[in-house]
Order: sequence, then C-alpha cells, then structure tokens
Amino acid sequence: MLYPTLFDVIVIGGGHAGAEAALASARMGMKTLLLTHNIETLGQMSCNPSIGGIGKGHLVKEVDALGGAMAAATDEAGIQFRILNSSKGPAVRATRAQADRVLYRQAIRGRLENQPNLWLFQQAVDDLLLEQNRVVGVVTQLGLRFRASTVVLTAGTFLAGLVHVGLSNYKAGRAGDPPSITLAHRLRELALPVKRFKTGTPPRIDGRTLDYSVMEEQPGDNPAPAFSFLGDPSLHPRQLPCWITHTNQRTHEIIRGGLDRSPLYTGVIAGVGPRYCPSIEDKITRFSSKDSHQIFVEPEGLGTHEIYPNGISTSLPFDVQVDLVRSIRGFESAHITRPGYAIEYDYFDPVGLKHSLETKAIQGLFFAGQINGTTGYEEAAAQGLLAGINAARAAQGKDAWYPARDQAYIGVMVDDLITRGVVEPYRMFTSRAEYRLLLREDNADLRLTEEGRGLGVIDDKRWRHFEAKREAIAAEQERLKSTWVNPRLLPQKEAERVLGKNIEHEYSLLDLLRRPDVDYQNLMTLPGVGPGVSNAEVSEQVEIQAKYQGYISRQLEEIARHQHYETMALPSDLDYREVHGLSIEGQHKLNQHKPETLGQAARISGVTPAAISVLLVHLKRAEQDIKTTSNKKSA
Amino acid sequence: MSNTDVIAATATASGRGGIGVVRVSGGGLADFAFALLGKAPKPRVATLSNFLAADGNTIDQGVALFFPAPHSYTGEDVLELQGHGGDAVLRMVLGRCLELGARPAEPGEFTKRAFLNNKMDLAQAESVADLIDAATTEAAKSAMRSLRGEFSGAIHLLVESLINLRMLVEATLDFPEEEVDFIAEANAFGQLAAIRAQLGEVFRQARQGSLLREGAHVALIGQPNVGKSSLLNQLAGEEVAIVTPVAGTTRDAIRQHIEIEGVPLHFIDTAGLRETEDEVEKIGIARAWCAIRQANVALLLVDATQGVAPADLEIIAALPPGLPLLRVFNKIDLLEREPGSSGVDGVTDVYLSAKTGAGVDLLHQQLLRMVGWHGGGEGAFMARARHLKALGEAEGRLVLAEACKGRIELFAEELRLAQLALSSITGEFTADDLLGEIFSRFCIGK
Ligand SMILES: Nc1nc2c(ncn2[C@@H]2O[C@H](COP(=O)(O)OP(=O)(O)OP(=O)(O)O)[C@@H](O)[C@H]2O)c(=O)[nH]1
Ligand SMILES: [Mg+2]
Repeated sequence: MLYPTLFDVIVIGGGHAGAEAALASARMGMKTLLLTHNIETLGQMSCNPSIGGIGKGHLVKEVDALGGAMAAATDEAGIQFRILNSSKGPAVRATRAQADRVLYRQAIRGRLENQPNLWLFQQAVDDLLLEQNRVVGVVTQLGLRFRASTVVLTAGTFLAGLVHVGLSNYKAGRAGDPPSITLAHRLRELALPVKRFKTGTPPRIDGRTLDYSVMEEQPGDNPAPAFSFLGDPSLHPRQLPCWITHTNQRTHEIIRGGLDRSPLYTGVIAGVGPRYCPSIEDKITRFSSKDSHQIFVEPEGLGTHEIYPNGISTSLPFDVQVDLVRSIRGFESAHITRPGYAIEYDYFDPVGLKHSLETKAIQGLFFAGQINGTTGYEEAAAQGLLAGINAARAAQGKDAWYPARDQAYIGVMVDDLITRGVVEPYRMFTSRAEYRLLLREDNADLRLTEEGRGLGVIDDKRWRHFEAKREAIAAEQERLKSTWVNPRLLPQKEAERVLGKNIEHEYSLLDLLRRPDVDYQNLMTLPGVGPGVSNAEVSEQVEIQAKYQGYISRQLEEIARHQHYETMALPSDLDYREVHGLSIEGQHKLNQHKPETLGQAARISGVTPAAISVLLVHLKRAEQDIKTTSNKKSA
Repeated sequence: MSNTDVIAATATASGRGGIGVVRVSGGGLADFAFALLGKAPKPRVATLSNFLAADGNTIDQGVALFFPAPHSYTGEDVLELQGHGGDAVLRMVLGRCLELGARPAEPGEFTKRAFLNNKMDLAQAESVADLIDAATTEAAKSAMRSLRGEFSGAIHLLVESLINLRMLVEATLDFPEEEVDFIAEANAFGQLAAIRAQLGEVFRQARQGSLLREGAHVALIGQPNVGKSSLLNQLAGEEVAIVTPVAGTTRDAIRQHIEIEGVPLHFIDTAGLRETEDEVEKIGIARAWCAIRQANVALLLVDATQGVAPADLEIIAALPPGLPLLRVFNKIDLLEREPGSSGVDGVTDVYLSAKTGAGVDLLHQQLLRMVGWHGGGEGAFMARARHLKALGEAEGRLVLAEACKGRIELFAEELRLAQLALSSITGEFTADDLLGEIFSRFCIGK
C-alpha cells in the first residue's frame, strides 16, 4: 500500500541521531515522518548511561545552541553532573552527566510526540524507493510505501548487527533489539561502500550485590550545572554519586585464562574497534605492565538497582565474565543482570558523503550517526541535527548548510569524516579542533544560535533568551571599557587586595580584567566599580573574552589566512586522472574523495603539497581557459 | 606521469668550470639513449661511451649514466651525459638531444618534475634552487648537505620531539579521567627545555647557511679623509674607489662584493659625513645614511692620528639603534703603532693601516665574528630567509609556551603553533605564501 500522506522528510531510526534529525526538520516546518522499529526505545541509551565529556559535551552544547533536544533532555534525566577539566581552562572545560535511562527516554519521547509537523510510525524499514539515483521514499516490513522528498537514515548499529559473547554469536541490534538485515542487504546492493566496526559493553550488575564501602565515592558537582543554555539545575531529578574501584592482578589472570575463548583473540570478530575505548581483555593484553585498571561504577537510574561498570567492556564467555567481575574489589558477590557483549555492525565509509551528510551516490538520501563510522550519542545527535536541517533544506529546494571547522565541533567532525574517512569508530576530542580556543562550551550559543534562527530551528523562546544574553554581554563589555580606575582615587589596600599591587596609571576595567590573576567577581568589589552583572553566564563570557582576547584574535587571523583555500571550489565532475602532473596516488585519492574545496583536498591524507600546487595550477589554468574563451566569444 | 615530454639541458652553468653535463629526462628514454650512444646503456652504471651525431660520427666521448623511472632524480627516465669537451662540444651534444626530440628544459624544470613526482619535499626542492644559484663554493657545499635532506632531517627530528610533547599535553586535556598525570609522568616541561635547545642548534646552523647564501652588508662610514676608500681598495685588492688627499672625494656610494673565508660580504663605501653646502656632496651624504640603514654592520673609520673626535661621537649617536658597530683606527703607519684589536664593553676597535695593509687580517676576523659567522661551512644548513622566519617563529612560540606552563590549554596552543611553524618548512602543512614563493621560484604552471 502507498501511504496516502506525502512527507517532506522521512527519518529512519529513533536513536539520538534520528530524534534530532526529525525534531530539526519538523522545527523547520517540514512535514516529517519518524519511522522506528520500536516506539518504546526512542531515545534509548544503548551503551553507558552518560552524556557529554571532553569534546562530547561541546557537541551537546552546540546541538542545544541549534535548538536540539539532547542537553534539555539531560537536564531532566541527569542524576549526576560534573564539569571536567575545570582547572585547565575554558576551552577544554566540558560538562558530563550521568543520566537515568528511563527518564532520558521519556524526555526524548515527550519532545518527539509533542513536536508539531512530526509523525511517528512503528515499523521496520526494509527498502528505499528510488527513481534513477534519487530517493523518493521507503518501504517497510509490511510492504507499506511512504513517499518523501528526502530521507535521513540513522540506523545506528542495527545494520547487520552481530552480537558476540565468547565464541557464540547471534544476529541482533543493540541491547536485545532485532537487527536490520534486509535494509543492510539492500544498501549493500546500492554499491555504497560498506565496512565493519565493532564495539562492546560491559556486563550490567545488580547494585544491591555490591559493597560500596570499599569503593571511592565520586560525587557530582555542587551546585550542579545545567546542560542546556535554557536549562536550570532545578529541573534535575534527585542526584546520585558514582563510585570508583579497580581491577587487580587476579582479574587479569582470569582474563588471560579466557583469551582462548575470546572472539577478539581467536579471530571471530573481524570489525575494528576503537583504540580509546578498548575492551578489558584488550587493555590487559596491550598494556600488560599495568597491574590495575580503573572502573567507574555508574548508576543506571533512580528507579533501578542496575549499575553500569564502566571500564570492563568485554566479549569473553559468560563464565569468565562472572569470575572476572567477582575478582574486583567490592564486586565479590556481584550478580550480573546482563552479560557483556561485543557487537559488529555495518557502517558506510563517510568519504561517500557531502558536508551536508547527503550521500554522493543517491540524491536526497542523508546518513547520520553510527552508520557513518562514529561512536557516541553526542556525535550521533550532532550529525542527526545537521542531516535533519539539510534534508529539510533540500526538500525546500535550498542549498546545504554546515558550520566550518572554525565555527563548531560539528563542522570539525563532518569535515574530518568526509575528508579523512575513518579507520576506527570516530569519537570527538578537543585536540581534533585546530581552533580549540574559539570552540568552547560556554560560547556555543554565541557561535551558532543566530545562524540557527536563520535556518528556522530556533523558536521564539530560545531566541529571546539568547538576544537578552548577548545584549547583556555587550552592555557589560561597554561599561568595563568606559569605566576608568584612577590610581590616586584607589586606596592602596584595595589595589593590593584585588589587583595584587598598586596601578601606576589609569586603567579601564576591561584592561584590568585582562590580567591573568584578576577575577571578575573580585574586580566588582573595588570601590565605585560594582555591583556588576548578576547573571553568571554573562560575567563568565565577559571575563573569558577579555582574558583570551589575544589568543582569540590570533586564531581569527589564522582562519582568515586559510579562508582562501577553503573558498576555492573544486568541480565535482573533475576527473583527477586528467590533471597534468598529479601522481597516481594523488589522482586515486582525489577521485575517491572528490573534495569540495582545495582546503578540504589539502587535508586528505596522501594528498601531498605538491599535489595541491598542481591543483592550484590546474584551477588557474582552467580559469584562464574560461577567460580566453569568453573573451573570444565577446570579441 | 609516464607520458611527459622529454627535456634536456646542460647541468653545469657555463663559465663556472667543472665537468659539463647534459641531462635528459622524460617518459621512455631507452630508444633515445640507443640512438645517441649506439648501444643500450646499463641502468645506473657509468659506462664509457661515444656520443653520436645523426650521421653516426662521434661528437664527443664521455660517460653515460642511465636511471630508469622511477628511481631517478626526477622520477622519470633520466640520461646523464658527461662530456670531456668544452662549452662548444657540450652545446653540440645538447643540440643532438634536441634533434632526437627533446626540448630545452625551462629553468628549474628538472626540480619541478622531481617535486611533482614526490621525489623531494619543499625544503629539498628549494635547496636545489639554491644549488643552482649558489655563488660561492662554500654555499655549494652547504646546499649539497641540505639536498641530502639533512636540514629536513633535523627539522623532522624536531617536529617529532614536539609531536611527542604535544601528545602528552593533549592527552592531559582530552583524558582527564585517566589516573595518570601525563605531564608530570613524562617530565613534559623538561622535554620542552630539550626541544628549545634542539631548536636553538638548528637555528644556529640555519643562520650560518643563510649567511653563506645571502651574505651581509657592511657600510664604511666616517668623516672625510679618514681613509674609507683606501680601506675598500685594500680589502678588494684592487683600485675600485678613487683616493685623494682632498676631503670629500667620494660622492656616490661605491659597492663592492668581497668574499672573506667564503662568506660573501657586500661592502659599501660612502661619502665622508660632515656639514656641507656642496649640493653634490649633500646628496652623497644622504645616500651614505641610506646605506647605513640597510647595513648589518657599520665600520666607522677614525683617523688614528686624530683619535675619536666630537664629530665621530655625533655620527655614532645618529646610528640606528642596535646596529653593530666596529671602530677602525686607520693610518697607524703614521704613528708607527702595531696593528691590534680590542673589544671592551661591546665596542670593537681595530687598529690598522689601509695604506700598508697591516692589521687588515684582524679586521677580517672581527667582521666575520660580527656578522655571526662561526667558521667552516660544515655545520651549516642551506636555509632560506623563510626558513629562518619559521624557525624564529617556532622559537618564539616555545618561549611563550614556557611562560604559560600553568595554563595548560594555552601551553597546548603555543606548542601547536610552534609545530605549525616548523612544518611549514618541510611543506607538510602548506600555506598559501609558501606556494606563492615556490611558484615564483620555479616555472610551475605558466
Ligand atoms: N699614511 C696613510 N695615509 C692614508 C691611509 N689611509 C688613507 N690615507 C690617505 O688619506 C687620504 C684620504 O684617503 P681616502 O681613502 O680618499 O679617504 P676617504 O675617507 O675615502 O675620504 P672621502 O671620500 O673624502 O670622505 C688619502 O691621501 C690617503 O692616501 C693610511 O692608512 N695611512
Ligand atoms: Mg673616499
């Protein structure tokens, strides 16, 4: 049957990518259909129950700054909040929260159900409807056909998922859900470049069987921060601590004893796993000199006793899992509620995508999330948002939109993915961002919300909130710039208390704030200077911008220098075999990637500076050819 | 890159001596070589061979070397013909190559092909250009070293150490929940000090190389009649400037290129500095000041029989701040004083006679020291001004890094920029300026 409603955008999958994609598209006024195989698992956290962290927190703030749901949902579901790296500087500072799985699902589902222009439908998708090389809809398990202008596929690890526990394995999606086998076959037929990754989870434990008294308590921050720019700690449910314990020599012996039945070490698992998130068997094999590894004991939620022992992801046979878990301090009589496992799944080489996340092969088909070779809820959500925006724009007949590398971690991630491809599951780190000092959590809204408003993803409430904040920042900056402190009117004791020493001539407050050891709140206590702004977000922004001004403007200069390459477009139909002077490797790489700009070409590994100069020459020549032909024409 | 056309050129510039070489490069030179040599050359073996004209007569006899692609300088087939004859014979061999279908290579075209075939990185490619126009024998030696990749090698080593340090810092920032303090564990700050020392050494050697290539500018200044022109003539070993007992003889600045121990020094003799009503002399004095502003070292001549006069002090006071100054007390023959040199409080004095030449060797030593020459071209890298700039920038970044050790994300940023500066030398992170320079240097993409 052909479903009678014609949609603008169809989103397949209701995980973190799918939810943000569907919400963004619907916010932009597009008639959007979210197809999921199970409405109960919308917004499911299938791995560890936490959101954010270094680099990831930055992504969440950016998604929030573009009107997305992840931060707000975390504010409603978070049972522990912490700011990481708080002493290391604002750029690398990041928010991390433990979330109650059930509350998080509820928060996401509530948003999806109440979003205007968004329809939910429960049914697995088996096929895509294609006309030539353009997608026009999808076919579900029952043979229902839904038509739409564009389709966003966010199938996560469900594509041809294969779960391993010891040497036995079975076909499945995450956490007990069925895999999408038919669709995976179908996509393989479409000649999209498919590869395989693996990831894993630890066994889950009944918290009542643990002895917390021998573990180290890790409390959340007090006061707890809010994640969303619109959020408030008063939205947080009851807060819980996490706990820390360690593996020991005996744990490692048990693991070594089980390696002969490990699917990882017997070659059963072919997919590549992430190096930064290894299984416990990987850790003790690769770092055999380390005799203990840290385990974070994380509560799964307020309404459950289950805990998530973060750090012992494993696919060893279940009997080994029981022994290894019980060898851990505090876990001596632990009861495992769910075995740990590894899962192998299909992903598509993201080199086949444009910056908009549209596939190069099939027009109107967008990919987001784990199927692009990334890992993590935050990475998925950020891609989902971007794909949703671009699917909506494509349906509206508009050009693609994506942030640049100097504008957002989202921009860094997408550019990395499509330019360099992935060799292991891609996770965000702040070191991936060359303009790290600009891409802070604290200014994600200042970087993105205005553009989001133009895109149509920012509602009036968020927009008013943002404008008020931006104006308050500007007003306070103006006040600090124009308020002068006169050394003759400043009592020496006061100067020493706030500034460390006497000032030798008149300074504006802004100049004083630039000093590394002068802090805003303290500065406001100088006679005749205060009270200053009460909104901490505003004062923080004023302070960071003042203190980092030198670095910020230098990074801006660096960006301006590179802008030239970034704006030099390379024709998408250019056959690099015909570019005179390119090495065979260069030709091959460039034909494989088909970069959109010269800047992107320069970032492709294997493309040498020589190749870039050859391309420059080629572009110059092509430009001249056009000029001479048009001159001839006009003559 | 197999279908490129065949190019040929003589590889030693005419008039500079040495063996004349005709070098040919292109796709598929086997037939070409057979026609020219009357036999198939063995790859990479120097073979004594006749070079044949179209009619089969021998043009010259010499050594032929054949390097099949891709293991050659350009990455293409390369044929090298080392003849015995002089320039005229060399031109005939080249003419024969053109007859066989080669076209004359554009300047730097071999290097360009080598570069485009990934046979060298940017630093190496630029050294080749340096080799082409290296004016002194010392410079040629240094250019060879850098061509072998020693300069690149040293930079790569530096970048490696830097990457290692950055790894620690970035790990600390991106993995705060690990139990290890990467920075303390690996003595990151100690590593920074080591890298700074390493960079200092490369910098020093690069400065030497740059000195060999670019040389230094030395201005001869002083009151009229103190013997500036006489000294120039003495240094040059020929009469390049007019010398008379008349004060105000020299008007137009006279330039002379003099090599001292292989270091090219560009001397400029100037009009004596004094108050004057003479129109022509006035212009000469203005030019003298112009030359002083461009100089790396000022040689202030003083008449030893008069000693340092108030007029000399006025000149010294008017010199650009920071310009190294060497005082030369001339005409010691009149005082029957022995030549000598002394350095007190940063002021270097040399006592000599421009007339007899006594003490000129002391002047040589002091001058070389003042332009920063540490003797011998052995440790010198053929660095270009751009390399020095990059090394200086990297050094500056490391100094700043040192200053913000407590603020780790800024520390990380300075290290990143230091690396960026260094990798711009070997061309790994190409910047637009760099390419601009290369394009102006080589005939790429005309
Ligand atoms: N005895 C003696 N006479 C010298 C010496 N150097 C220069 N003179 C003489 O001093 C006179 C001036 O020499 P110049 O070399 O023309 O002096 P200058 O400094 O170039 O003079 P202006 O160009 O007029 O500024 C000439 O008669 C020289 O022969 C020296 O070392 N000993
Ligand atoms: Mg003279």
